[in-house]
Amino acid sequence: MFGLFKKNKSFTAKLVDYNQEFVVEPGDSLLTGALKAGLPWPKKCQVGSCGTCKCKIIDGKTRAEIDFSYVLSPDELNDGYALACQTSLKSDISVAVNLID
Amino acid sequence: MKTFYVNVRYLIVPVMTVLTIYGLFLGGIYAWTGVFLFGLNIILDTATKNIHLRADFDENGNSFGIKTFQYIVMYLMFPIFIVLQCALAWNLYQFTTSSTVAVETLVGAILSTGLWAGLGIIYGHELSHNKREGFSVSRAIMALSGASHFTYAHVYQHHLELGHQNDPATAPRGRNVYWHTWLSHFGQSKFSFDLEKQKLERHNKSFFSLDNKWILGYLYSLPSIILFVWSGGIIGILALVVVWSISNFLLEALNFMGHYGLIREAGKPVEHKHSWDNDNLFTSWFFIEIGRQGDHHVRGETYFWELDEVGAPNYEIGYFTLFLLTLIPPVFRKYTQKYLDEWDRNQASEAEKQIAKDYYEDTKHLSNNILVV
Ligand code: FES
Repeated sequence: MFGLFKKNKSFTAKLVDYNQEFVVEPGDSLLTGALKAGLPWPKKCQVGSCGTCKCKIIDGKTRAEIDFSYVLSPDELNDGYALACQTSLKSDISVAVNLID
Repeated sequence: MKTFYVNVRYLIVPVMTVLTIYGLFLGGIYAWTGVFLFGLNIILDTATKNIHLRADFDENGNSFGIKTFQYIVMYLMFPIFIVLQCALAWNLYQFTTSSTVAVETLVGAILSTGLWAGLGIIYGHELSHNKREGFSVSRAIMALSGASHFTYAHVYQHHLELGHQNDPATAPRGRNVYWHTWLSHFGQSKFSFDLEKQKLERHNKSFFSLDNKWILGYLYSLPSIILFVWSGGIIGILALVVVWSISNFLLEALNFMGHYGLIREAGKPVEHKHSWDNDNLFTSWFFIEIGRQGDHHVRGETYFWELDEVGAPNYEIGYFTLFLLTLIPPVFRKYTQKYLDEWDRNQASEAEKQIAKDYYEDTKHLSNNILVV
């Protein structure tokens, strides 16, 4: 549920450790994009409270849709970690995550 | 046509809230409009208890819900609730300064305001699952009822701990709605307090910081307090206490009905079976699908108009009807026991059955037909 008005550009997320990429539709979170692409991205609450979907944004611009500081430590925030279920894309990105085996 | 129908059906609360406000300004018997409408809703809800609809999608799987329209309505509810409080304050002002408002009119105005401020909390809930501006509007709506802590506790605790004793918003079996209201309200506030404390410590900031959302949340309620003190002095404060008590009672009653007695083993994923669905026609439309708790708790990011029937346990009656039952705890327990027994038999995992069994043994309320472990 991202904002009042739909943004209408989709972006691509590249998984650095898996040599795979997927499209994130406008209005979708990074996690939703991954799930729509059938990727086994770890997830639990999907509302930004558990930290299960944590990933590291390596390159590109994203927007944190909620305050991550309740779940991520200051070091993680500085290192570019994000909660995929609450992250929208502002450009194509590269991201690191441990997919479920 | 279908798009019109799907979107307009969710306007019952905005329309009725405006009617309530109009009644407050008309005064006299009309000040009771909100109470009358609440009673009418109980009848409509009970009359439609057997009508259960599904979410509406076109042949391509796209929802008929218009996001922009629904968001404008939800955001508009914030100023509407401010006007609701102002209308009551206006009655208080007349009552205390010129005695042109009779006592029975004032009582009707206070009850009407409390009920509709409470029902308006559904928008605070819906927007709590939104980002940035939506989340802020949610906080502001909840602050009008002195419950701004809800927004954080709901997302960061309830959605995570649901069905477990760590979640104050989940009522265990045997608890009544009155006791639940206290425990849940203060439990969630304490959670929000601890959440901020931890966050600020981790970020090396003082507890008394502008980043403390728990403190800020209560500060957002100050304008309401000032308004009621100014308009009615002591009577104004008493009126606000009644309004907040009613609205928070309704909020906690929704939490109570949504999860009463359901059990989830700590650490296990939240599933559809961990929430009660109340999805008859009137409840669905009036409460903007908040009764589709099963789907909501598994897909927390989903727009309310896309939530659907997912096979969650179902009380088979709407919120208004069930709310009446919760007011008389023995009747509520009797009504829900057969559904809990069914849940224990058909949906609970072995571990969940064991937790239920322990509860009944501890409380000596073991029902005869329960638990085929
Ligand atoms: S799935 Fe829980 S924080 Fe994203």
